Amino acid sequence: MKKHPLDRRRFLETATSLIALPVLESLGFRRFAAAAEQPRPKRLVFLGFGWGVTNDSWYPDAKKPGRDYRLPPGLAPLEKHKADFSIVQGLWHRHTANGHYGSTFWLTGANEFGQPGQIFSNAASVDQVAASRLGAATRFDSLCLDCGDAASGSGHGPGLSLSWDSRGKRLGGPRNPVEAFHKLFARDSTPLQQQQARLLERKSILDDALENACELGRRLGKADREKLREYFDGIRDLEAKLARDTKWLGVERPQPRLAEPKPGLAGVEEIRMMYEILTLALETDSTRVITYRQPVSTLVASLGIKVEAHTMSHYHGHAGEKQEASERRDLAQSELLAGLIDRLKATREPDGSTLFDHTTVVYGSNIRTGHSLDNCPTLVTGRGAGLRLGENIVVTKGTPLCNAWLTILAGSGIDVPAFGDSTGVVEGLVRS
Amino acid sequence: MTFSRWLPSIVAVLVATRMPPAVSLAELPQVAAATPPLLAAQCLDCHGPDDAQASFRIDTLTRTIDTVEMAERWQKVLNALNSGEMPPKDAKQFEAAAKIELLDDLSHAMVAARRSLAEQGSDTLLRRLNRREYQNTLRQLFGVEIEVNELPADTRSGGFDTSGSNLFMSGDQFDQYRALGREAVREGFLRHAAAGVEKKLRVETERLHKWFVTTHEKWLDEHRRAKQWCDAVLEAANRPENAAALAEVRKRAKSDWQLVHQWKQFPGAPGPDQFGWPKDFGEQVLWELNINTEFIAYEKRYLEQPHLDTGAYLTLPGAHRSSRSNTFFTIKIPVDWPPGDYVVRVRAGATPQAAAERRFIEFGQSHWPLGVPASSTHQVVGTLDAPAVIEIPYTVLAKHDARARTLFVRERDSGQEPVAVARFKEAQKANGVGPDLAIWIDWLEVERLTDADREPPPGIRALGIPLDDRGASLPPGVIKAALGRFVLEAYRRVSAPPGYLDRLMASYSARRRAGATNAAALEETLASVLASPRFLYRAEPERRGEDGDDTLDGQKLACRLSYLLWGEPPDAALRQKATRAGQTAALVDPAVLDAECTRLLDDPRVRGFVVPFVSQWLSMERLDFFQFDRRRFPQFDDAVKEAARREVYETFADLLRTNGRLGSLLDADFVVVNGLLAGYYGIDGVEGDEFRRVPVPQGSPRGGLLGMAAIHAMGSDGEHTSPVERGVWVLRKLLDDSPPPAPPNVPQVARLAGKALTTQERLIAHQEEPQCASCHRRIDPVGLALENFDAVGQWRTEDTYTPVDTNGWASPAMKALKKTWPIEPAGSFHGGPSFTGFEGFRDAVAARERDFARSFAKALVEYALGRPCGFRDEPLVESIMRRAETKNFALREFIHALVQSEAFRSK
Repeated sequence: MKKHPLDRRRFLETATSLIALPVLESLGFRRFAAAAEQPRPKRLVFLGFGWGVTNDSWYPDAKKPGRDYRLPPGLAPLEKHKADFSIVQGLWHRHTANGHYGSTFWLTGANEFGQPGQIFSNAASVDQVAASRLGAATRFDSLCLDCGDAASGSGHGPGLSLSWDSRGKRLGGPRNPVEAFHKLFARDSTPLQQQQARLLERKSILDDALENACELGRRLGKADREKLREYFDGIRDLEAKLARDTKWLGVERPQPRLAEPKPGLAGVEEIRMMYEILTLALETDSTRVITYRQPVSTLVASLGIKVEAHTMSHYHGHAGEKQEASERRDLAQSELLAGLIDRLKATREPDGSTLFDHTTVVYGSNIRTGHSLDNCPTLVTGRGAGLRLGENIVVTKGTPLCNAWLTILAGSGIDVPAFGDSTGVVEGLVRS
Repeated sequence: MTFSRWLPSIVAVLVATRMPPAVSLAELPQVAAATPPLLAAQCLDCHGPDDAQASFRIDTLTRTIDTVEMAERWQKVLNALNSGEMPPKDAKQFEAAAKIELLDDLSHAMVAARRSLAEQGSDTLLRRLNRREYQNTLRQLFGVEIEVNELPADTRSGGFDTSGSNLFMSGDQFDQYRALGREAVREGFLRHAAAGVEKKLRVETERLHKWFVTTHEKWLDEHRRAKQWCDAVLEAANRPENAAALAEVRKRAKSDWQLVHQWKQFPGAPGPDQFGWPKDFGEQVLWELNINTEFIAYEKRYLEQPHLDTGAYLTLPGAHRSSRSNTFFTIKIPVDWPPGDYVVRVRAGATPQAAAERRFIEFGQSHWPLGVPASSTHQVVGTLDAPAVIEIPYTVLAKHDARARTLFVRERDSGQEPVAVARFKEAQKANGVGPDLAIWIDWLEVERLTDADREPPPGIRALGIPLDDRGASLPPGVIKAALGRFVLEAYRRVSAPPGYLDRLMASYSARRRAGATNAAALEETLASVLASPRFLYRAEPERRGEDGDDTLDGQKLACRLSYLLWGEPPDAALRQKATRAGQTAALVDPAVLDAECTRLLDDPRVRGFVVPFVSQWLSMERLDFFQFDRRRFPQFDDAVKEAARREVYETFADLLRTNGRLGSLLDADFVVVNGLLAGYYGIDGVEGDEFRRVPVPQGSPRGGLLGMAAIHAMGSDGEHTSPVERGVWVLRKLLDDSPPPAPPNVPQVARLAGKALTTQERLIAHQEEPQCASCHRRIDPVGLALENFDAVGQWRTEDTYTPVDTNGWASPAMKALKKTWPIEPAGSFHGGPSFTGFEGFRDAVAARERDFARSFAKALVEYALGRPCGFRDEPLVESIMRRAETKNFALREFIHALVQSEAFRSK
């Protein structure tokens, strides 16, 4: 093994030491004593819906801020939870200028052209900042759910999920309910010894890849070497995952009360199933940070709407058929969200509280409708971060969306001085 | 600097030819000299040293934009002006004309700044194989094309997929590369093992006739019994003794169907079981059977057709499943047949009554094709009396299961249910029977193409050992040598680094010890090679110690050339030229390089350049942005859309093959079309699926990009034309005059709701506000000149518009306002010549061949070098232009000039 410029061994050691020993709090154990004594962990969920929402029927009247606002038609299915969520109006990312990117910068607020010499750049997403603090004790530091091919017609923009790692590179994850289910809950029936051998083998594959990259890197010029760093970093990420897997070797994955999903679910059914799985992921404490980039294109198709999703997002000024499709999409999305809130409220924690009490769910997009990028649709729910719920919160136009992200981080116990282009917390969002 | 966009090319030439090669301040983007004083006069009171409101000072802005920070601050100024936020409403305003020029200057400066900032460090950056290059490279190595859809696409709107900085890599991708590499090796091995296997299968369609007749009779019987039951229920319901019950049911049940549904409410009404149905058979199903009679006449007509003893007809699907016999035919390639290249043959003839646009079949893969898109469309040139055989190539992989091996043919445009059903109903309404039967199929056949003489692909030839169990007992030294040869091949003639082969060998042996077969152990080991950076990246190592000389060596140059022109690694001939014999490789000699460049351009593999380059250069992804409204444009089906897309590629390929003028893309007197597209364009005498050069008939607007359906369809939203999109496209792609991107958050022009206005009148709204006018005065006249082409690229002389109300609906009141007007295509370029119609406009565009050539040269540089073409590349662009211009801008000259350039030949 040759000398490595960044001393990978030491990195691995430190990376693994960060990972606390797993707490055996799978379903079988958790009713027992001690767990109830500790404060329940904070959880964060970000749900992104690409093409935005219908202007006229999704936003509450901005002139009626506060608790006594009338629920607009697009949010009607959330009526029973009205006291438990807030809409924040007036937020935006000042750097985002691409009306087809509903998700690329939604959780980062970065400037696509911010890095000289790059034709695209991004920054760490808010969920990954949270995961670096909340993720140490769980099997997965975060879970980035995606919708695979359906993403391309859904107005999300570049990316492999809503999440971007600390270097601003794309993070991928399970692309459908079956993959998500397997990742979280698949039982490994091979004997422990064999599992160990497999991890070792994988380690040698990764070692080998790094060795090759080192060898090549030594021959390259400075800029190329910098580019090759992506490869290094990718392999190192896999090593960190491997280290985590090694720690968790022999710890059975939890068994959810859910049969393996059928392959091929699409649209409404797919999102419903993903919501079910993400609830179970939180309930079993497999992870505490989840993002989900939703399949808007197949959602629309599954509602029997013949208008294609992008065409629909251009409803303004043209045919009513498109606007009607857009409104039906909003309704379906709101219904699904209402179902998720039901589930979070119904899921008990070991101390008798509910998952809803410790979780924050953010639901939105960087796009309002068509190509508008101001007043990004933002809905927050869950009592995990001490947010003010039940209100139509109208902030000064042009307030950075990153202020909301900073507020949520702070409320979840993650103390960072700033996030993205934040200028402070959104005071109106903090429960007084 | 941008006040007269009509003369930029001449100015640019003067500047470029006199420009010193080193980077000077003058090349950095600047705002116009007039801009700072204008802003100072307006803004300094609130944004100056004395009172920096919003912490923004206008006086510290510099004219030269050389940092991201400075660009951001100027952008902020532009945004504030664009949104109307500044100057404040109650303050003194800019004079309108001055504001237009100010915005024009600032927005162009921002475009330039973005380019120059993205260009910093302008060497060609280390490039990963992009998705298609990766696929091509594996195909070249193993002779099989695997599906790579799960990899990120690497394409980016407005850019090229060859751009190094955009080709990212992540851990997940590493695992995907390993999995795909493993698959390629496995498929390659199996394909190789099957070399020489011959298979053939034919399905005679008349075999289906018995089934057709049986099904027909079964539906007839079911229809009869359903009708009997429904009639009996209605009869019972109307009996006097059931009057009260009927009145009660009628309160809720408006239709007969709802009444029948409530049959149990009527004493004496018979159950379905009395007509041979199961007792609890669904009422709805029975009602549908009762009323859906469309199949009766249609199938009766079918059974009267000739040649049913030797073949069968394709039908169109009706609304009900009872009218769906023979809507498609399938043929299944048996699962135990080996992978390889197959050919599917269909012997077919069109009936005498078949309309011209129906003499096509669609081919695809599915066991139940309704709603499944076809993979290709083929013209049926045979007739009932003289059927002809259509040949369709098809590749089978080992992993394909029975479903993936089920292939179908159906009539053109019969796969989308709503469209097909509407056609069926319309025909039935007209003639009482249904659509004419158009296509008769004699038989379907699949055959595995013989590959006994096929050279093993390079990857397998390099291994040179038995890949099955016969290789299991080879001594380690032989295996190691085989791995060494493979690595050399996969790494494009770079030998394995020290120690690497030992590690590969250790991996192979460990797997063998764990019980893996020779093939499986090789598969895993080779998969590692195929996920390693030397394979995935086109590394161009630094050559140190050679007095700063960064000229590429032969092999690296060969790679650049073949990935540019084929999208795949160099072939044996090119490698041979690239091998160092003596001091330098032959390829480094400009004459040899020129000859190789010509050879590569002559090879059919040049398609690996044509399609990716042209589609990205012309931003053709827009063709898939919107769905086309089939009610409005029934003739624009998927087949036309694909043929229209291909026309763009085929025209470019034709010019590349013949080394025609680039300018032909603007003013050609020919089109390159196949039978289907010729039909769409109303050009007679073109038959078959091959694209070929055909003269444009007198009076036809076709010929050149501006006559192509695809280009116009890209400039629409699937329903209406979009003169703005079209105008921007023409300026950007053809005239080398890129307007800045639209500012975000443009409000919709709501006050136009409910008004019946022509397109022109609606567009004028753009020019009312200075922030819109600065660009739209240039864009709109260009787009409006193309209004003679509708949203699907068909010629029209008038347009209609039905306004919508504030809710977006075309209510009856709105429909009454429907307006029709003749297209008025006369206009003039902003600050430029005027034209009287489309032809004049096209000639004016064609006259700017030099601008077009520049735009093309820049795109080519960007594609080939994998980075933005910025200010520093001006001399390169100019030198390409100079060489091309001496040859009348012949297409190949651009490529030769680029390939010979210093930038292409060095790191």
